[in-house]
Amino acid sequence: MAKLKSDNPDQCISCNICLTACPVARATRKYRGPKLTGPALTRLRMLIEDQDPMLQYCSNCKNCDRVCPSGTPISTLNMKARSAYYKKNPHTLAEKILSNNELMGKTITSIPFASTIANLGMKITKAAGAFEIVGMSSKAPFPTYAKKSFSAMFKSISQPKCDKKVLFFPGCYVNYNEPQVGVDLVHVFNHNNIEVLIDDNFVCCGSPMISAGYIDKVQHNADINSKILASYAKQGIDIITTCTTCALILKQEYDELFELEAVKEYNVHMYDAIEYLLNMYERGELKTDFKTLNKKEIYHTPCHLKVQGYGKPTLKLLNKIPGVEVVDADAGCCGLSGIYGYKTNTAEVAAIVGSKLQKTIKESDAHEGVCECNICRLQMQNNTGKKAYHPLHTIRQAYGI
Amino acid sequence: MLTTEVVIIGGGATGAGILRDLSMRGVKAILIERGDLGCGTSSRFHGLLHSGGRYAVRDKNAAIECIEENQILRRIGKHCVEPISSIFIRTPEDDEAYEGTWLEACKEAGISTKPLELSKLFEMEPNVSRKVKSAYLCPGAAIDGFRMLWQIFDSANRHGGKTLTYTNVIGIDSENGKVVGVTVQDMHSKEIYKIACNYLISATGPWCSRVAQLAGIDINVKPSKGSLIAFNHRICTNVIHRLHKPSDADIFVPHGTVTILGTTSIDSDPDDNSTSQEEVECMMKIGEATFENLRDYRILRVFAGCRPLYSAGNSSGRNASRDFAAIDHGKEHGLANFMSVCGGKFTTHRQMAQKVCDMVCPVLGNTAKCTTHEVPLIEEPSEQLMQRAKAVFPSYAAELAENRQGAQRLEQLVKDIEKDNKLGEIVCECENVSRAEINAVAEDSTSHSISDIRRRTRLGMGTCQGTFCTYRAVGTVKSLKKDWTEDTSKLFREFLEARWKGIRPVLWGNQMRDVDLTRGIYEVSLNINHEEKKHE
Repeated sequence: MAKLKSDNPDQCISCNICLTACPVARATRKYRGPKLTGPALTRLRMLIEDQDPMLQYCSNCKNCDRVCPSGTPISTLNMKARSAYYKKNPHTLAEKILSNNELMGKTITSIPFASTIANLGMKITKAAGAFEIVGMSSKAPFPTYAKKSFSAMFKSISQPKCDKKVLFFPGCYVNYNEPQVGVDLVHVFNHNNIEVLIDDNFVCCGSPMISAGYIDKVQHNADINSKILASYAKQGIDIITTCTTCALILKQEYDELFELEAVKEYNVHMYDAIEYLLNMYERGELKTDFKTLNKKEIYHTPCHLKVQGYGKPTLKLLNKIPGVEVVDADAGCCGLSGIYGYKTNTAEVAAIVGSKLQKTIKESDAHEGVCECNICRLQMQNNTGKKAYHPLHTIRQAYGI
Repeated sequence: MLTTEVVIIGGGATGAGILRDLSMRGVKAILIERGDLGCGTSSRFHGLLHSGGRYAVRDKNAAIECIEENQILRRIGKHCVEPISSIFIRTPEDDEAYEGTWLEACKEAGISTKPLELSKLFEMEPNVSRKVKSAYLCPGAAIDGFRMLWQIFDSANRHGGKTLTYTNVIGIDSENGKVVGVTVQDMHSKEIYKIACNYLISATGPWCSRVAQLAGIDINVKPSKGSLIAFNHRICTNVIHRLHKPSDADIFVPHGTVTILGTTSIDSDPDDNSTSQEEVECMMKIGEATFENLRDYRILRVFAGCRPLYSAGNSSGRNASRDFAAIDHGKEHGLANFMSVCGGKFTTHRQMAQKVCDMVCPVLGNTAKCTTHEVPLIEEPSEQLMQRAKAVFPSYAAELAENRQGAQRLEQLVKDIEKDNKLGEIVCECENVSRAEINAVAEDSTSHSISDIRRRTRLGMGTCQGTFCTYRAVGTVKSLKKDWTEDTSKLFREFLEARWKGIRPVLWGNQMRDVDLTRGIYEVSLNINHEEKKHE
């Protein structure tokens, strides 16, 4: 078993603040909260073994970590315990399927028309009720596959040569499901005289595997990604992400889970795309040749962004665009939290958690939703009658490029 | 007036062992204890079931007794013994020459010492210092003192043995050079009464001199205080000993959810169970040779107990023998049918009791043989009962409750929760103690405070040290409407003060933050000290 730094539950002073911030505990009594499942039971798990059905209910949204005044890595203790549980218990079929996101994405986007067939197949399978059979919810908003992967599309963009370069970590979702986010990023950065690099050797950050209890497999990905990231950081090249979950895993969780020294070498060079652009704006370096857009957007803050503690850059930056009004949904967690929202047994919890956000968006007079996180956006579009975009979409629109 | 054959004074391991042994031989006996069961030395130790390795070089007899009793207690006290191993490690600070002597001595005493490859050691115990030179696996284990006492008394009671807690001996009554009874006082009702008996055994350990004084007899017991540190979690999976001449702070025992480091050896008053910050610092320094990152682990609290070292001569502390002494006051001081038993160790308490009863029973005309080593303390639960328990208790709670309370009480707990599932709620989240368990223990006639419940359940002994379980426990017992549960302010203060006592010497780091949270809840929100609002 991988060596896990967070075996030590000593930071927790049992204050239970995490319980008040946990969206899952609020939605269901089946989950007794982060403090108990994490630090408190970590002590007991060192003493006795037992079946622990609660372990599957943590959605790894990390609101507990965010509010913890003691810096206890609560969610990591949970994921660690879940992984240990699967050493002795079989994974569900749904976990096996859903944690294979990278392989599926790679295969489907590399074959012509495969995505059309896959997306259609998904609809048919869903309609036939086969999702339930493997333990996946047919009610959850599944992502569709792109015709062409982001890395394939990236190669056909001709970028201007710029002195300033950044490395982009697209992550699986941008690569295989919504490459448009990556394309928007390249154009927006190019417009600001920044060249975007990608590295073909990157692999999935590992988040779905962590959630599905395959921590050992993630160590392999962590080794590959952290070495690549550190090598760019050493050259003074900043690293940009659009997926807030990938960012969190790369910046923080690799270190919590595997004590990877390389993380400290690159994590200070990592920025969310919008955070990066806002920093430029504040230094007076961002081009502000924005068109007037005349639209109202409702913004949802992803939990995995909140826990990184850099404020809400999207809210600030988009409001600088003439004619754009962005309101904060302030409606808690979207509930999906990666594969959590798709497995039958937790999908119903995810649906309860996400209902407040859905209701807020539905009732809002905004034209569309805006959010950094890919999975949150799926929930924002789920039965709300509104589209949801990554903020780069609006920024590119405003630049008129 | 009560009448019995034997009165035993002292509700620690020695007294409990004697009560059980006598009862099983068919001798009527009453044990009296001035406080709660096991509130003295017998719960204030490492929780180590010795393999004998520690004593092999200096005291072969003690070592042999330890290994014999180790095997017996693992068998009869399954629910109280964590069947782990002990690992003796030699660090660069320990004398290399001692290793050979020690191996030879262990061999002679019949204690197995399996050499451990260092790579294997670090795999088993990843937190142990990488500077360790050599390591051996021995059959030591962890033993829960409170729980074993509780189960010994249960076993004794089933055989007719009686126990009176919170009963203090204030006089030893004799006629014609022979003990005929004791005068006692109920500590709660203050009632004074007599118990007539044919034989009196004082098993009061470090308090033996004081009890003998009641009959005007002087004996030389040297109480030696040992302090211990409890860490918040299991930092090792086996007992870790330093392989050197027995010394301070050289044993770590993973005990339940915590790890205990000890100990020291200081001549003291038997009622002194305080620990100074200097002692803690001293132990931490030594402990760092075993675990280099020791200071990264959170100290929960400290506690101390007094060893009842008996010495016919003048040696004390670590030089005094760990062997036990049974002093026949008839032969030694001319007061017949009175014996004081002191010295010894928790690990060997059963054997001590056997030897004492072998001496006492013939005087009473009883020739039955000892059977205490053959009969398990409590019954095993049926598989069906455990399944029912797992269905109603939250995860990790069923097995713990069974270990703590035994099959018979567990069955009642399960029935209670089956009837009212709210009773399955966890009151103490750090140690997983349910409301049903608190209720059942509070109903027992020996319970008079939250601390009494703690000793039988581990309530409040985990991370939060009572911060969240105290008010829940007080609320729970209050609803039982017993005499002792009426004054809730008193219940709060007694328990919190007892928790606070062990934390005071280690008030830094996360524990300091924890205490401030506790203070906020009880002193500020609940106004436990009843600061009256001053009117203008």
